[in-house]
Amino acid sequence: MGTVVVGLGNPILTDDGVGIKVAAAVRELLAGTGVEVVEAYSGGLRLMEAISGYRRAVIVDAMTGGLPPGTVLRIGALEGRGTRNLHSSHDGDLAGALRLGRELGLNLPELVELVGVEAGDVETFGEELSEAVRAALPKAVAAVMAAAAPGMDPGGLGDAATAGGAGERS
Amino acid sequence: MTRISIDPITRLEGHGKIEIFLDAAGEVAEAFFQVPELRGFEQFCVGRMAEEMPLITNRICGVCPEAHHMAASKALDALFAADPPPAAKKLRELLYCAFFVTDHTTHFYALGGPDFIIGPDAPPAERNMLGVIRKVGLDVGKEVIACRARNHQVIKTVGGRSIHPVAGIPGGWSRPISHAERDEIVASARKNVEFARFTLKLFDDLVLKNPVYRELLGSETYTHRTYYMGLVDGEGRPNLYDGTVRVVSPDGSELSRYHPDQYAEQIAERVVPWSYLKFPYLKKVGWQGVVDGPGSGVYTASPLSRLNVADKMATPLAQQEFERFFDTLGSGRTGGRYLPVHSRLATHWARLVELLYAAERMLELALDPEITSTDLRAKPGPVTGRGVGCVEAPRGILTHHYEADQRGVLTRVNLIVGTTNNYAPMALSIKKAASRIITGGKVVEEGMLNRIEMAFRLYDPCLSCATHAFGKMPLKVTVRDASGAVVHEVERG
Repeated sequence: MGTVVVGLGNPILTDDGVGIKVAAAVRELLAGTGVEVVEAYSGGLRLMEAISGYRRAVIVDAMTGGLPPGTVLRIGALEGRGTRNLHSSHDGDLAGALRLGRELGLNLPELVELVGVEAGDVETFGEELSEAVRAALPKAVAAVMAAAAPGMDPGGLGDAATAGGAGERS
Repeated sequence: MTRISIDPITRLEGHGKIEIFLDAAGEVAEAFFQVPELRGFEQFCVGRMAEEMPLITNRICGVCPEAHHMAASKALDALFAADPPPAAKKLRELLYCAFFVTDHTTHFYALGGPDFIIGPDAPPAERNMLGVIRKVGLDVGKEVIACRARNHQVIKTVGGRSIHPVAGIPGGWSRPISHAERDEIVASARKNVEFARFTLKLFDDLVLKNPVYRELLGSETYTHRTYYMGLVDGEGRPNLYDGTVRVVSPDGSELSRYHPDQYAEQIAERVVPWSYLKFPYLKKVGWQGVVDGPGSGVYTASPLSRLNVADKMATPLAQQEFERFFDTLGSGRTGGRYLPVHSRLATHWARLVELLYAAERMLELALDPEITSTDLRAKPGPVTGRGVGCVEAPRGILTHHYEADQRGVLTRVNLIVGTTNNYAPMALSIKKAASRIITGGKVVEEGMLNRIEMAFRLYDPCLSCATHAFGKMPLKVTVRDASGAVVHEVERG
């Protein structure tokens, strides 16, 4: 299979839901292109299992790295600078899970990329993003689109990025 | 007091940290961990329709959504006075057993096992699931992944959606399973039983037959004589999905047995001056601080606890393992029951006994002729105003308590999550581990981080619910003298 976009995070924990919201917007933009969009809620093995079978994976998640809230970064998955939910306290981090999966001969993506959005608040229950993070949605959507579908015209991203809804596919 | 902190280097996962206070002589006086409490869950829920709760609460945490879904569904049964038909309860329990098999398997191979199979003093780079798999063979690794995949599929089939089940409704279950689906589940359950037996054999060969690990298993460092709590059925056998709460004292005698609905009369929460965490304790015994012994109301709720409160197991192979567990660890008997095992590292073994039980129970339920019944829902009655639902989460008893007005709109929500029960025991274990490593103000760095991590890893804490995740993340230890100046620092990336 081709490319998968994974929205990672917790949709009821304020800015921790940014990955889920970006994925929802990207899903609309990528409809019919063959790029799949899924959601994931924890890192480690679960995340590795979610991206197995695809050739490329783009994971979008919140970051808490001390940058200004709303900062968007595109980073290689194994570059050491992680995002918030790559690690699962129950079984370890994505890098370890990927190494394990490769050793076991699972069909894992050749390329795993991350798009991180710096969060303002990840400790308060709520379904809305904080202001700075909401304002960064178009930029985050554009970064995910550039990584997942490099050839596509990114026109009209602003509208899609602010569309609501976080439907779940499984 | 001198303070030593163990901090994650990065804030990948919130920011848990372990604080160790030394007294004037440089001995460990107090140890605990601090994790940021998530805020506002009650406000988030109040004003919503109660029936949304099984779908909201399973979002609290990425590790055990199934446990929240189940506790929420049961709380709604009570809130709407609708006792589900037998087949609905069986389907719920079937899904729940599949979840337990996955969770316990993962903990053993990815988190708990490395300390034993690779060794507590091995470099962290090797002490992980990959190290375990390299040692026991790639085929075993493939089995672990296959076990997760087939049970995730069962959860999806029975629960209506993968990861976050949607089938739990007030008074029952929204989705029957077909005969073909049942046959697939039976096949998966049979494989689970075999895999659980294999895992126990592995534990036998790699841990019990190794004198060093065997000693570690009973090590005094991680021994605390606390009260134990777990759900049991009418015959005193552990049940993961339903039962009454039984509490036994450190000497094995029963302190109390109560309906989960009565939790607030049995348990209180204590905030201590040095931490904002709320420590639950047994009201009957009282709060003496974070100490063990029969005079202290500190209790543990974990796989080990569930075995300690049991008269016996409900399935045949798990019963054999249960007996071997207590006999091997040298427990005598009292009143026809085994005396509790207090060594916390034995929790890893207890978890595998439970794994076998969950697999066997799943097979029993899948083979039950009633499991394909379509009679899955009792009609909800008028709102009772209050509903408490309780299941065993893999890491300890989980309670959801909702109150709602006549329209079913929530007015109050209270959750006691699995890990919260074990705050005090975890603090005890961390303190004891630290005491062995720090004496007279001197810190032995060798293996320090892992010895302390082992202390909480055995409880498989999931702080995503209570607070935030806190696993094998990078750690930083800072030792400060009485004035707060840093005198010693260790980092591990």
